[in-house]
Amino acid sequence: MTPENSDQTAVDINAIDPTQTHQVAEFKHEIALTTLRVDPTDRFAAAGAEDLDVQLWDLESGERRTLKGHKSWVRSIDFSADGNRMFTACWGGVVNVWDTSQAKPKPLQTIHAHQGSARFVRVSPDGEQLATCGNDLLVKVWDLADGKLMHEFSGHTRHVYGVDFHPQGKHLVSQDLVGGINVWDLESGKHKQRIDASVMTGYDNKFAADMGGARDLQFKPDGSQWASAGITKVTNSFAGVQDPIIVLFDWETGQEVKQLQSADDNVKGIAWGVRYHPDNFIIGAIADKSGKGELWFYKPNEEKAFHTMKLSSAARGLDLFSDNRRLAVAHADGHLRLYRMTAQS
Amino acid sequence: MRRNQGCNPIEHVMARRQFLAGTAAGAVGMGMLGTHAQADQLKHQDKRILQVFLQGGVSQLESWDPKPGTVHGGPFQAIPTSVPGIHISELLPHIAQRMHHLSIVRSINIKISDHEQGRQFMEKGRRVGDFPYVGAVASKYLTPSDSELPGYIHVSSRGLTDVAGGAAFLGAKHGQLKLEGVQPPSNLAIPPGIDELADASRDQLRLQFNQRFVERRSKALTEAYDASYHQAAKLMSRKAMFEGQASKQDLERYGTHDFGRYCLLARTLLENGAACVKVTHHGYDSHAENFNFHLEQLGEFDKPFCMLLDDLKARGMLETTLVVIYSEFGRTPKVNVRYGRDHWGTAWSIALGGCGIQPGAVIGKTNDTGTAVADREVDAGHLFHTYLQAVGLDSTADHDLQGRSIPIGDPSVESIKELLA
Repeated sequence: MTPENSDQTAVDINAIDPTQTHQVAEFKHEIALTTLRVDPTDRFAAAGAEDLDVQLWDLESGERRTLKGHKSWVRSIDFSADGNRMFTACWGGVVNVWDTSQAKPKPLQTIHAHQGSARFVRVSPDGEQLATCGNDLLVKVWDLADGKLMHEFSGHTRHVYGVDFHPQGKHLVSQDLVGGINVWDLESGKHKQRIDASVMTGYDNKFAADMGGARDLQFKPDGSQWASAGITKVTNSFAGVQDPIIVLFDWETGQEVKQLQSADDNVKGIAWGVRYHPDNFIIGAIADKSGKGELWFYKPNEEKAFHTMKLSSAARGLDLFSDNRRLAVAHADGHLRLYRMTAQS
Repeated sequence: MRRNQGCNPIEHVMARRQFLAGTAAGAVGMGMLGTHAQADQLKHQDKRILQVFLQGGVSQLESWDPKPGTVHGGPFQAIPTSVPGIHISELLPHIAQRMHHLSIVRSINIKISDHEQGRQFMEKGRRVGDFPYVGAVASKYLTPSDSELPGYIHVSSRGLTDVAGGAAFLGAKHGQLKLEGVQPPSNLAIPPGIDELADASRDQLRLQFNQRFVERRSKALTEAYDASYHQAAKLMSRKAMFEGQASKQDLERYGTHDFGRYCLLARTLLENGAACVKVTHHGYDSHAENFNFHLEQLGEFDKPFCMLLDDLKARGMLETTLVVIYSEFGRTPKVNVRYGRDHWGTAWSIALGGCGIQPGAVIGKTNDTGTAVADREVDAGHLFHTYLQAVGLDSTADHDLQGRSIPIGDPSVESIKELLA
């Protein structure tokens, strides 16, 4: 290769380009994963699985710690801003608090948060509160200093699937099985707004059952929008035949802004993850009923995804590193895989 | 030469257990076996069957055989029940409080993972052949002669195909009458413009035609035709049963959803003399989202079923009503990539209780991971014998059909004797 040619082919491997997303690392667990979270300092990735444990990987060394303390599958995880505390919510209704600096972490605190499943856990922007929701139809806010209950919001009539804090920390948004979204005012402790997201639910007439719920929920960092991942157009939900969808909502009006869907009509399943990227695009993680998956890359003002990456195994959780270049995906084949949204080195 | 078709088959199917133990009146001796007196006595004991069919195949791991913390255990925990030592899934908290009325069979292996084949085997106790469903057998041998209802009634939100209503050679009058929900069958009322007198004349004319037809042919040929008229007439006379509004108190207890109302109707039908009432609760074929769907479906099933159980107990009917909760098969221990469990006939469970059943028992077991039966393997043939013997019928006897003898239960298997009270 001549020097001239070398100059012509030089690439900036730090330039963010989702169309060149590629796998850069893989961490294996023996059991299918259920969810994941990357800590805000990018040191750890934690995953729940179809067992009672939490897998905590050191992303630099690859060392894995297995955390025991739940009596049911872990379905949602979050970290404190410094990454030293981890919060895990399980199907048994319990939220455990862990110290990630310990060699063999044990639960520092166990909160019996909900009757039935605790489906979602999120740390507040100021790091002082924890929001949870669950099958007792309640949304709760806990004081992280002493673990005491600060707020208990009732109003959902079906299982509550997801909850997130508005970035200004004064409101919560929660979404239930049948697309009922509630906005809660943390200062007054009252219900603020009811929003209809029934596009994200479906009643399966043949089986006489509802399907839906927010499988992931995240505010845009500037607070102007939030995104909810889930399903729509239920055809035969008992066989997994429905369309994955991500719906964007405007914070000021509560109105639906946009629906993101697969470019491939043959993809049927569930959207399990959504993240806003600072470069003004949205990333979605999908599980297809075939057992494979997709990553979607959407610009908010465009009708179709500008890039779709096929995954060899269904995605069950998604997170974005603070370097904004890497993604972590929890897969149904038991692997946690890291992907880089740049050209390959 | 016309064969004697007047034999009352009840004489052939009085359970030997009943014979040996004597009847409630204590008056039955060896010399009376097979007499009409004994047959009448059995019918007056007023036994019946309630079947609750969890269509699609309820997961044994999310119901009767939980294995939390094991490789295939799923996310739900096991909870203690009113019977010390018996744990069931946390998805059945109301049943857990009433476990002392029920028993569990945890060792079913039907070697079938097909919906229709599994359902037929579970209903007929035979893998193949045109044999009557357990409900049709109950209709034939348990329906009081003065019953004002068809013997075998199925309440369901949608149809399932049952050839001849599951009656097979027992005749159409013992076939399943399907009620789609709590509404009375359509066209139950006398047509407009016809008064009761005209309707009676119309029926008389029909009977005359029937008689002339029968004189030249076997009466079996008109039986199905006639049976439908009788069933319609019985229902017409009991139309008010459907029209009565459920009380506010009942709806609070049972719930206002379809299954709650079906259970209320089942209570009414059983109280009014139906020999077998089957209630289907749909929605267990969870190849995807097994855990969320079982949360929803069993959450809907658990309480109304228990309200019905409580009411049968409070009315003194539980001792004379066999209650069976069953499916066509169970679900795979292995969780698939859609969080689903697939069809699984290899190692699964049912629950039953009430008339003739030892309460608070667990029959058989599966291995630690739920992938195989580890002890006391049974199949639908064993269960069929057990159901009938529980209500006092000798399932090892024969149906006597115009000179033909057909074993009631599969002769190659027996009842689960340790389960019988």
